[in-house]
Amino acid sequence: MLPPFSRRTPLAWLNLTHDRRRFVTSLSGVGFAVLLMFLFTGFKNALYDSQVQLINQLNGDIVIINRLKNNMFVPRAFARRRLYQAQAFPGVEAAYPVYLSDVRWKNPITQQARPVRVLAFNLADPVLTLPEVQANLAALQMPNTALIDERARAEVGPREAGIITELADREIRIVGTFRLGTDFASGNGNLIMSDQNFLRYFADRGPEESDRSFATVDIGLIRVSPGVDVDALVAQLQAALPNDVRVMRRSGPGDSLEAQEREYWRDSTNIAFVFSLLTAMSFVVGIILVYQILYTDVADHWAEYATLKAMGYTNRFLFGVVIQEALILSALGFIPGALVGRLLYGGAASVTGLLFQMTVDRVLTLYAMCFVMCLISGAIAVHKVQSADPAEVFS
Amino acid sequence: METPHNLSLPQSTAIAEIKDAAVHIKNLNYSFGRGDLCKQVLYDINLTLPRGQIVIMTGPSGSGKTTLLTLIGALRSAQEGSLRVLNQEIVGLSNRQLVEVRRNIGFIFQAHNLFESLTAAQNVEMAVELTGEFATKRDQATAILTQVGLKDRVDYKPDALSGGQKQRVAIARALVNQPRLILADEPTAALDKKSGRDVVTLMQKLAKEQGKTILMVTHDNRILDVADRIINLVDGRLESDETLDTFVTTHDPKVLDRRMFIL
Repeated sequence: MLPPFSRRTPLAWLNLTHDRRRFVTSLSGVGFAVLLMFLFTGFKNALYDSQVQLINQLNGDIVIINRLKNNMFVPRAFARRRLYQAQAFPGVEAAYPVYLSDVRWKNPITQQARPVRVLAFNLADPVLTLPEVQANLAALQMPNTALIDERARAEVGPREAGIITELADREIRIVGTFRLGTDFASGNGNLIMSDQNFLRYFADRGPEESDRSFATVDIGLIRVSPGVDVDALVAQLQAALPNDVRVMRRSGPGDSLEAQEREYWRDSTNIAFVFSLLTAMSFVVGIILVYQILYTDVADHWAEYATLKAMGYTNRFLFGVVIQEALILSALGFIPGALVGRLLYGGAASVTGLLFQMTVDRVLTLYAMCFVMCLISGAIAVHKVQSADPAEVFS
Repeated sequence: METPHNLSLPQSTAIAEIKDAAVHIKNLNYSFGRGDLCKQVLYDINLTLPRGQIVIMTGPSGSGKTTLLTLIGALRSAQEGSLRVLNQEIVGLSNRQLVEVRRNIGFIFQAHNLFESLTAAQNVEMAVELTGEFATKRDQATAILTQVGLKDRVDYKPDALSGGQKQRVAIARALVNQPRLILADEPTAALDKKSGRDVVTLMQKLAKEQGKTILMVTHDNRILDVADRIINLVDGRLESDETLDTFVTTHDPKVLDRRMFIL
């Protein structure tokens, strides 16, 4: 047995789709509002997500950083002996030093210098498990070589193997590429090199720059033995190590490097405010658009709706028709909006190097917003149906 | 002992007739607005429409015809007097109860008021769905559309139908649930002479076959001949209430001529 509503004449659907051109226009209106919401929330999420994409690629459960390094921008290193101290604790399988430095990179085509970020580590340490990095380990052992991020911004010039240009006024040869993406701290992109090459470029950079050596480390990465309680180990390490370093989980909620980074950008920038405001504006634009569509339908069919009332249909039935129309618009308008949004995410990601992620829960959240948007419009338009007075059809 | 019995007989018959009447109105007053803006439009209406009668209501515009029609149709709530429709007192009913009353009345409007997006059958089915008979709605719609002569237009949308055909679909929609009372407001006003004629003849035929009461407001003198009775409303008062024959003989020859012309 079919439920009663499916045996009813689908009035809402037929009224909406009767005029094809108007229906398509309506859907594109809803889709456009959805697209705007996708773009604005997309940029907001991309700006936050991108800040932690390097952190998420690091191969370790616990990190040690300088206590003053409250975000990835702060160029504060800590003494490498802290890592050796940590290595002595039971449950610590390995401790890897990661060196970071910002430096000028000369675009080989335009000869313009651009800041990039260099990541360096001992090639024997599995710091980054990116397959491209693993594949190029042998090439990276050669002096003055590096890998370049394919997703670095176009300003750095061609991002491919074989490029020879200058890094910190010294020749560098690109032997391969990897895919990571940019963030606020990475400048125009990331390079990866061996710790030996790192010393070649940064041990002696002249009077204005601080010299780097293996004595100081930017991020200490700790691999934990299987079955060890990570939180307990973090607390143990923090208590035992001197207070010039902070020990925390690499990722996850609570006290972690990832959370600290997200929190820093959330609290110190207006990203959330600006993009949430824009999203809210798109939401309101959507409400107005959908209201306009529903209102037009009701106004155009006013006499027919009033006739239904005269025949004995209740207000509730007519509310149902309007709400159904709202829901049909929300569902069918969302699909093109999301698909075009997906395309634009791809385009924006390749232009900016930011990480645009369309995750299932984000899509569902936006659909919920679209649904509520249409529902609100429906609720406003319902008043127009209520005012359809069957007595006025006679005359 | 027999005399009182005999005496009471005609009286009880009269009461039974009133009880059985489709519409029974007593001392009905109606006004629009309130307070200083209050304007009375109907004064002390008394009217009984027995079953199976076709009644045409005429009168100049602004005389309250439409108001009376909407009151009988339970589309407005009356406050003063008594208004029984299909044996139910509707003065003082709530909106919800009025909606229930309407389901037993067929409405035909000047405009057909069909949904452009629905086919003729679907428009009629919308009415059937009120009764909950989903399984047979298509058959019922086809049957009634066949009766109004639209058998081969069942799946046409209104914009593919002529004016007269649309009005016939609207009539089918009004009749499909077998209402005992049909209220029509200028059903022929938007139609040409022949379509208008066809529509009223159809209504007359269905009313006679099925014993329905029809109350029709019209200015269209060409269709007065279908009426069993003609009532005339002037300035909110029932001015005259006559059979067709008296109406014809008492009204000016111009009206008569027109009627003769049609006949």
